[in-house]
Amino acid sequence: MKDERWTIRHIDLADGPRVLDADGAPCLLVYWWRGLPLGARALRAAELPYRRAQMTADAVRLAADQVAARRSLRIAGYDGQPRACLTVAEALEADGLLETLDRLAAEPAPSAERLSVVICTRGRPEMLRACLDSLARQAAPPGQIVVVDNAADGGAAPVCAGRAGVSYVHEPRPGLSIARNAGIAAARGEFVAFTDDDVELPANWTAEIVRALAGSGAEAVTGLVLPARLETSAQRAFELDLGGFTSRHFPLRFDRSFLEETRRVGPQVWRIGAGANMAFRRTVFARFGGFDERLGAGASGCSEDSEYWYRILHGGGVCLYEPRAVVFHHHRGDWPGLRSQYRAYMKGHVAALVVQADRYGDRGNIRRMFRQLPAYFTRTAATSIQNTAWWRLRLLASEVLGWAEGLQYLLRPGWRARGQVGEVAEPGAAAPEAVRHA
Amino acid sequence: MAYRIVELELSRPLSEIVLAPGEEGVALVARFEDELVGFAMVPQPAGSVLGAPDVTRLADRRFAAAVLQARTEKALGARWPDQRAPGAPSLTIAICTRDRAPRLRRLLASLDAVRPGSPFAGLDILVVDNAPSDDSTREAAAAFEGVRYVREPRAGLDFARNTALANATGEWLAFLDDDVVVDRGYLHGLYRAVRSTPDAGGCSGLVLPFRLETDAQVHFEKNGGFGRGFARTEFRAERHGNGLHPVGAGIVGAGCNMAFERRLLLELGGFDEALDTGAPLPGGGDLDIFYRVLRSGRAIVYEPTYAVYHEHRETLPQLKRQYWSWGLGFMAFLVKSWRADRPLRGRQAAMVWWWVLDRLGAIVRAGLKGRRRELSFAFAEFAGGVQGLAGEYDRSLARVRAIRSAAR
Repeated sequence: MKDERWTIRHIDLADGPRVLDADGAPCLLVYWWRGLPLGARALRAAELPYRRAQMTADAVRLAADQVAARRSLRIAGYDGQPRACLTVAEALEADGLLETLDRLAAEPAPSAERLSVVICTRGRPEMLRACLDSLARQAAPPGQIVVVDNAADGGAAPVCAGRAGVSYVHEPRPGLSIARNAGIAAARGEFVAFTDDDVELPANWTAEIVRALAGSGAEAVTGLVLPARLETSAQRAFELDLGGFTSRHFPLRFDRSFLEETRRVGPQVWRIGAGANMAFRRTVFARFGGFDERLGAGASGCSEDSEYWYRILHGGGVCLYEPRAVVFHHHRGDWPGLRSQYRAYMKGHVAALVVQADRYGDRGNIRRMFRQLPAYFTRTAATSIQNTAWWRLRLLASEVLGWAEGLQYLLRPGWRARGQVGEVAEPGAAAPEAVRHA
Repeated sequence: MAYRIVELELSRPLSEIVLAPGEEGVALVARFEDELVGFAMVPQPAGSVLGAPDVTRLADRRFAAAVLQARTEKALGARWPDQRAPGAPSLTIAICTRDRAPRLRRLLASLDAVRPGSPFAGLDILVVDNAPSDDSTREAAAAFEGVRYVREPRAGLDFARNTALANATGEWLAFLDDDVVVDRGYLHGLYRAVRSTPDAGGCSGLVLPFRLETDAQVHFEKNGGFGRGFARTEFRAERHGNGLHPVGAGIVGAGCNMAFERRLLLELGGFDEALDTGAPLPGGGDLDIFYRVLRSGRAIVYEPTYAVYHEHRETLPQLKRQYWSWGLGFMAFLVKSWRADRPLRGRQAAMVWWWVLDRLGAIVRAGLKGRRRELSFAFAEFAGGVQGLAGEYDRSLARVRAIRSAAR
């Protein structure tokens, strides 16, 4: 993994294809149709200049896929991939193909007055500042912004001070789930969106979240996470080789059938989206409670988001993946950081499997722990050796370690008995005392 | 075992397919408004009747997205005017053949059918008769108008290809093996590929099965055949997501249907005559030329509508020998590249490692599943590879030197 400078290039295909030379530097090419993300492609230096004919071939594939996905919302199968439903007759009859994209891109932005945005932060004031700046630039300003400071020293307070519409909540008990629950308690909007302090938001983010929630009837919405930078080899490995957070560019509906398809072997709920870009109707928290405080960063490691989607799907609710809601995430820049992230992912994932099995009696989660995950480790080891990808083997070692650490939760009856989830105040309830309006 | 090859025009209602008693599946060649858009092999009970609704269902699952793409391409084409420079190049089509007059006649007849609509500025066809044992090839070529005939007495496919290069006049030079026939979109597909990319040094095209009438032919096509899919692709010296590229040059295409800018081939010194020599080392020449074109900094464009139909090996022993020759040709090519292209030695070594593990994996999988035929093919390919690594390229160089001096 050489360190060479990569850039991220945005191409709006509605303006037609062009020759991209990107100054001869390797790049991630992100295709758009105005505000609609269509797809991405990584190019090495020798693949440049990228010519019109290549861009046109990409455009054909991506535009057709987008049109198919937008004509009728597709349902996700167990692997998070859409079940094909287009017929030749429909493909022949569909009219106004590009006009479909034009229309989508030109839809007026709804107001985000009824949206509360919750940002949980911990000891990263500079990143938080950039995140809040991007929130201040929203075309549809949210009705409320809640910053939950999860650091004992309350270091985020000065960043929030003097910002209009920003509520500062200090939640010194460590844990992302605890912080998010504090955010929910402070949120007054009908819709509650979550993002992280290491994220920057394009100006249409709040509007797209509201559009997706208001227009779909879904209980939860997730969106696309694009990389903010690809400057280090660890960032590129995460985004380009390991798949990043989400890489789908078409909307997808996750419902009970997605859960049922793999209930026997452990539903792959993490495919629904990422916690850095998710939103809920406020009412789901009254129904399903808050995030499980045993899970997530600062506790088991992660998966508090996907465990919540599990609950929604189990209750007959719907999660909608809508890539129009885009965020730009700053990936971990160093290899030790990436390895500890992967270790925490696997540990948190196993913990979530235990929780899911305990809460619903779905044995498939246990099966995943002892069958699929070891099989995944074996497969990854074999392909890494075959491809002489030694960095991947080292990362795998961290994952195996995390897996072993996660298994401890199986043996901790006290931990498993703490099955209750955080109580959350009813919508419209008085703001807790901890809330201080900046 | 046999498969019925059926062409579907997706813009029109589909009709039923009746399989003969020995036919155990259909191979669907899908077109939309006459352009090739898809291919799929679908097993069926022998002798079954597929009603129009069944055929439509098969097509829905496999080709609906391709239809939408073809229509999107037209819609985008209407919005984005063609910005290519005017002026069409001239083309020479070279067919290197040896003692297979009936197949040559079949190919020339298919070329006759597409010639009248040629978009190229000039088009000539060159038959290179490689060390023939009789006059049948000369007579076959003479039966067609506008076909030039050249004899190359030194036996070896790359001797013949270099003779074609020396005798070609077109700015572009396309090669066809004698065991193919061309699709009706062949010339337009090649033209599209050549014109689409200003720095294209080569083009490769789709290879579909001509017949699927024997176990060997069905087995080969089911396991991927020569198919490289229906996505137009440009290959260059690097490829994101494939760290060993361009050492695995086989992904670019196949030697039975490839074309190059003639001047570039001359600059590169033509084909390596120690590869693709026929019986002792029947392979690797196409990999070598793809690799060298990409390493020269020029692009190779894969264009699916630049298509031919290939007559696959008919018998299982012939097919087994073909697997052996792939292992042999690929490793001989790697040995040659190891010497000729030092900067990429890391990738070449990694490719040998990858290939050995990949083929050993295939042997183990076939063994565990008890599939004897696949096991024998996997062994053959592996044995070929070992032979290729163990000095076959040097032996071939010595043989080629002897052939050259004998011909002097």
